[in-house]
Amino acid sequence: MIKLLRIDDRLVHGQVALTWTPAVGAECLVVANDKAAKDDFLKMTMNLAKPANAKLLVKSIADTVTFLSDERAKPMKILVLVNSVQDAAALAQALPEVRSINFGGIRGKEGARPISKAINVTDADMTLIRELLAKGIELEVRQVPTDEQRPIETLL
Amino acid sequence: MLTSYILITLIAMFGHSEDFLGTTLLSRPLVLGPLVGLVLGDFQQGIVIGATLELIFMGNIKVGAAIPPDVITGGVLGTAFAILSGKGPAVALALAVPISILAEMVVSGLFVFRPVWNKRFDRYAETGDYRGVERLHILSGLLKPLLMGVVTLLALLLGSEAVKSFEETIPPWAHSGLQVAGNMLPALGFALLMNLMFNKEGAPYFFLGFILTSYLKLPMIAVGGLGVIAALIVTNITHKAQPVPANDSDFDDFDMDETPVMVKPKAALLTQGDIRSLFVRSMALEANFNFETWQNTGFAFAIIPVLKRLYRTKEGMARALKRHLQFFNTAPHGSTLIIGIAAAMEEQNAREQDFDEESINSVKTGLMGPLAGVFDSLFWGTIKVIAAGIGTSLALQGIALGPLLFLLIFNVPHLVLRYKLTFIGYETGTRFLQDLSKTNVMDKLKAGSSILGLMVVGAMPATLMAIRTPAMIGASDSAVPLQGVLDQIVPHIIPLALTFLVFYFVKRNVKTAYLLLGLLLLGFLGSVFNVFA
Repeated sequence: MIKLLRIDDRLVHGQVALTWTPAVGAECLVVANDKAAKDDFLKMTMNLAKPANAKLLVKSIADTVTFLSDERAKPMKILVLVNSVQDAAALAQALPEVRSINFGGIRGKEGARPISKAINVTDADMTLIRELLAKGIELEVRQVPTDEQRPIETLL
Repeated sequence: MLTSYILITLIAMFGHSEDFLGTTLLSRPLVLGPLVGLVLGDFQQGIVIGATLELIFMGNIKVGAAIPPDVITGGVLGTAFAILSGKGPAVALALAVPISILAEMVVSGLFVFRPVWNKRFDRYAETGDYRGVERLHILSGLLKPLLMGVVTLLALLLGSEAVKSFEETIPPWAHSGLQVAGNMLPALGFALLMNLMFNKEGAPYFFLGFILTSYLKLPMIAVGGLGVIAALIVTNITHKAQPVPANDSDFDDFDMDETPVMVKPKAALLTQGDIRSLFVRSMALEANFNFETWQNTGFAFAIIPVLKRLYRTKEGMARALKRHLQFFNTAPHGSTLIIGIAAAMEEQNAREQDFDEESINSVKTGLMGPLAGVFDSLFWGTIKVIAAGIGTSLALQGIALGPLLFLLIFNVPHLVLRYKLTFIGYETGTRFLQDLSKTNVMDKLKAGSSILGLMVVGAMPATLMAIRTPAMIGASDSAVPLQGVLDQIVPHIIPLALTFLVFYFVKRNVKTAYLLLGLLLLGFLGSVFNVFA
């Protein structure tokens, strides 16, 4: 089952390896990213960074959906990482199991505005966020587990 | 008095200059406390108070962009007020915690404010004005010590009298209540550390650490030494040298040889001195840390000596500066590996006409996250924990060697590795990482450091937390002290139980602030009702 679905544009890094993995007791990290799935160099570096007692899978969005829909994935404690609101929304669309999405870090870019220290959203992101909220999915902003959990609607 | 206030302000400013000093832990309460003590004529007490504060803030670490309470301002002011009022660590605790939370808001404000300069950085880059980039990076970095210096001085001028008169009105029972409440707080630090490390497989090492200290009374240094030995023995048994990860189906088609490989060419354009200056300048990586582009100007600042050597034209320099002003964020301790690799790629770019400039940034952004994962875990998750465990255990007894060992245990491996990684990055490029990924060195290191870290954390409740019970059991004339009975069964069971209690709540996502208040209240009431002392 999915213990956490996190949007973080650095994918596997310190906050994930050091704080989230132990906090949710994840046995398996799934990086759901079409680009990374095809990039052996990225896969290698992420494999170096993964926590000692967790498995790391790097899959395309479509393969992630297949993997997570599989019965064999049900008993596993899984932490899913995506790097955009779009990818998170795609997973939430395909997987009814997703009831909550953690907003960890989205860096600023052209056309994006900050809604918290580490989260910057574009208009396209906002549309997706409203759709997700309308579906009753919890969207919470939090960098590390011990931070205060802030519902995204309070920041818009 | 004004002289001491100014000196204390300078200490706080020194602490806030840590972003120029490579995150070398010089700003921790364990180091600044003794300095404040020295200024106020009570070195001994400065050491003890610094250690007490270090314990409470032990679980607060800086990972990624998550900013913990400002322990620099809180630690310096807490120590100063405690010594000035003559009431000792209890006051330091009562003040340092709220001060550090308030000061964190000021610091965060600065991180939010700094991006206003990004346009100016971009303008400098457009014209290839690397001196402008350097200047602004340093100026912005100086803003933090200056701003927090003003805050500290104001707090000292306005607060000292208030604290003193407030102190005089506190009755003795309330004072001892405060003392006990403060002594409870390390349980929160330990629990936050456990939250990072504790799991079913690691549990035996945690309890081994506890037993070594509670029954065998071993000092923390001995536990650290035994931990290293245990880690070596266990990882040698479990991690037999073998290629990894052959059995992982997802990596079956993992053909390393297709990935970009950079090997240092024979006729190098860069000198050894250039590479060394990358290391030196990496110390200022976080000077202009901000919430929009993070360490980008720090990266540019570090690599400028190389760019100067490679790009003699304005256009070349402008393009390179723009490249390195893009978003960047990694663990400062291992940053030199990426900086070294980037230097090698820049050198190749300067030499080859058809080099793909974009690849420099894609390697940088590809590496910054994963390497932050590696180095944050190693330095914050393990080495810092051991350094703090050993350092505070000595400093709590007023031994000046404590803060010194704390700095050495952390910084000897830190600086040696940071220096070596610069050259490894430059000379072998990404080849180093590819070689590393073919061995099981990383797995071994992670498994070993988790064993060592857990043993040291397990040793903490018994050595670093002074909570006992004055309660008596039995009828009044034949009553025996409960603590004596407990000591017969499991010495230091109370600190251990409190640590697990807090850990239980941390696991259930109870807010740290509530846990802090809860512990203070429990300690205070426990003291008033004679349950804890």
